[in-house]
Formats: sequence, structure tokens, C-alpha cells
Amino acid sequence: MNSFFKGIIGIVVFIAIWQVLALIINKSIIPAPAETLRLLAEFIFSSRILLVAWETAWKVFLVLLLVMIIGMPVGLFLGLSDTFYDMFRPIIMLIQAVPVISWLSLVIFAWGIGWKSPVFIAFLSLLPVSILTTVSGVHNLDKNLLEMARLYQVPGARILKDIYLGSLLPFITAILDVSIGQAWKVILVAEYLSGGSGLGVEILRMRMIFDVPGVWALTLIAVLLGIVTERLIKLGLRRLSSQWTIA
Amino acid sequence: MDNCLMVDKLYKAYGSLTVLDNWNLTISKGQRLVFLGPSGSGKTTFLRIISRLEEPSSGVINSFDQKIGFVFQEPRLIPWRSVKDNLLFVNQHGDYQDILGRLRLTGFEDYLPSQLSGGMRQRVNLARALITRPDLLILDEAFSSLDLRVKASIMEDINQLWQENRFTIIAVTHDLKEALCLADRIIILSGRPSKIIKEIKVDLGRDRSFSSPDLLQLESELIDIMCSTQPEV
Repeated sequence: MNSFFKGIIGIVVFIAIWQVLALIINKSIIPAPAETLRLLAEFIFSSRILLVAWETAWKVFLVLLLVMIIGMPVGLFLGLSDTFYDMFRPIIMLIQAVPVISWLSLVIFAWGIGWKSPVFIAFLSLLPVSILTTVSGVHNLDKNLLEMARLYQVPGARILKDIYLGSLLPFITAILDVSIGQAWKVILVAEYLSGGSGLGVEILRMRMIFDVPGVWALTLIAVLLGIVTERLIKLGLRRLSSQWTIA
Repeated sequence: MDNCLMVDKLYKAYGSLTVLDNWNLTISKGQRLVFLGPSGSGKTTFLRIISRLEEPSSGVINSFDQKIGFVFQEPRLIPWRSVKDNLLFVNQHGDYQDILGRLRLTGFEDYLPSQLSGGMRQRVNLARALITRPDLLILDEAFSSLDLRVKASIMEDINQLWQENRFTIIAVTHDLKEALCLADRIIILSGRPSKIIKEIKVDLGRDRSFSSPDLLQLESELIDIMCSTQPEV
């Protein structure tokens, strides 16, 4: 049996457990799968919900972009300089340890309701992962290759492209693996708590009117979008990185 | 004959551990010099110093502004780059097809290092050194891991290329056959702290196959010299 059919069986088992739980537990907490899935289908074809989903999706893409274009060069720099790494590591660890809710309390005063707070909070949550993973990548570089390049006086730009990028590729993939799902979760929480627009705000609205199947259907949309985002970004990365791949 | 390299009172130590002790040496351009010595006698350290990968503790190295091609003990090829790209990495304008042809690698331009045998990877390592059109070719126990047949074939290629281009060769090895196949001059080193204890001129002419009677005769003499100069462990 191939993995596709195994996956289908897994989903069927999940829905069966869900159905059992919906029968046992209060319907206002766990709605029946049929009702949730009907609502999900309705939402998928609703232009308003799609627009709301897009409001969250572009924030996720923006955060991932910022995390990569800021976190990786910073990680590269800190990876190359032990002094600066020792200096900044405690600050990075501190940023990583601060709970989302604390950042939210601070930035909501600065920016109020809008897109900036969720983007900034998600960015701060993911930046340490990006920096520290890139530093690990630099520390794991094959020093023999760098020495060979130094001996032949290869220009820095070519070393960066041919050695650094190729060596860091597994680490870039790891950063994205962690960041995509995390970005969706943090943006949803930040939207939920700071307002503005997006799936987080829509989930809040559904909760306020006690529409539990609506909350679940929106959650499923967020999960599906998270999976689709991951697949799309990984496909793009695979195409971009094909020249650094070892067959 | 012009000099390629002059070494004067070279001394290298790592902390309290002396590796090279007062080396004095002159190498002429176009000469083929092989160092033979026990493990830890600083052969690779010397190669790294003349390649400017390491600094000596004291002493003077005059290397007369030359291009260096270095054949490392392990191939050090970029794993995600093809054979062709590994060569162009060190010299973007190099004639890779010619070099690959000379080293019997035609047709493997687009192969990745992982798709090649150990012997072929070492040929690519050699090709990368040669594509820079070096004045000085350094071989750091470059063929120690290869079987005899592959080693003999690569030696033959190096000697052929040397006949045509007359670059200087400095090699280190443990293998007496390899040394005799390659050298005009063999330098025997003591154990650590390493000193130059004997120099041997090798005049074998062009036939330097591993089985040539002259080479075998010299090998037996070299074994006697090595046994009388190296301490028992």
C-alpha cells in the first residue's frame, strides 16, 4: 500500500475518532465532523472568507521573507565571528524566551490594531531560530573546502555562492520547516488578540457569537493553508536549490 | 638553473612541540623533489608553510611569486558541483576539457564527485591543481589511498605532463615506489623534531614504471638507507 492510501486511512480514522468524541462530549465544544466539513466547504467558496484568509496569508509570507533575509545574513555574520556570536547569543536567547503574549502587550501600545503587531511578533518569535540555525550551519561548514578556496585565491563572492550556499542549504530547509507552521500559529494568535483583520480575527468573531463549528472550520482552513504554504515554499526551494543538490 | 624555492633556517613549533628543526633547502625550477619520512615528521606542515596556509615559527621562505597547484591527500571537491564546475571554481577561464582529456576524464565533465571512484576523484583533484597552470605542483600524499594500478597510471600522467610543462614538483609520500617514480631528488627526514638527514639524486631517465629494473634496484638501496637512518619504533 502506498503512502497516499495510508494517509487517506489516517484521515478516515481521525474523522471516526472525531465523530465518537462529538457524540460523547458536549456539542458546543466538539461539533460533529459532518457539520464542520459542510461549513468548511461553504467557507472555501465564500469570497469574504477567502479574502480574510489572504489577509493572514500575506502576513505569513512577509514574516517568512523577513526572517530569511534578516536572520540568515545575521546568522552568517555571527557564525563567522566567535566574538560577536558570544556577544549577541544571550540577547538572541532572551528574545527567544520572551512569550508571545508579552511582546503583544508591548507592541499593541506602539502600533495598536493593524497588521504591524502580528507581523512584528511573529518575526521576533522566528528570528532566533533562523539566526541560530544559520550559525550552526556555518559552524558545520567543511573547513577543508574553505582552505582549498583560500589556497587558490578564489574570490569571496564565488566562495559564498559555491561553498556557503551549498553547505547551508539543509539548514535553510530546516529553518523553513520550523518557521512555516510556527508563523501561521503566531500570526493567528496575534490577530486574535490584537485585532485588525485575518483568520485570527474571524475566529474571534465566531467565538463571540458561539459559532463553534465556524471556529473549527476556520481552524481547518488555517491548517490546510499551512500545509499548502509549506508544500509551495518547499517546491520553490527545491527548484532554486537544484544546483546545490548532491545526487 | 633558476630557483623556485629557498628555505633558510626554517623552524616550526606548536607550543612546546617542535616539528621542523632548522631546515635549509634550495629547490630549482622544474625540479621534482620528494620528501620521505616517518609519520609526524612535519612533511605536510612544510607543504602548508610553502603554500602560505601556515606561518613558520621562524626562518625565511622565498617562493618567488609563483602559482601553486595543491593536490590534497583527500580530494576536497565541492560535493554539489560537477567535475567541470569544480575545476572552473579555481580558474574560471581554464581549459577544463584539455586537462580532463589529459587525465583520461573526458566524458565525466558533468558527473558529481559522489558518482566517481576514489581514483577518479583524485584525478579530478590533480586536474583542479593543473587547471591553474601552476609553476609549482604540490602533492601531499595524494595517492596513498589508491591501489597500485591506479597509482601507477596517475604517476605516468604526471610524468608525461611534467615532460611537457616542466613545472616544479614537491611531493611527500611514504611509498618508496611512488617517490622513485616521481623524483629527481629525494630528501629523507628524521623523526620529530624533523631534520633533513640525507639527500639522494635519482637519475632514472624517462622509463619510470613501477616494474622497471632500475627503479626496483634503487628501491632496494633506498630501503637500506631508510632502515639505517630511521629509528625503530
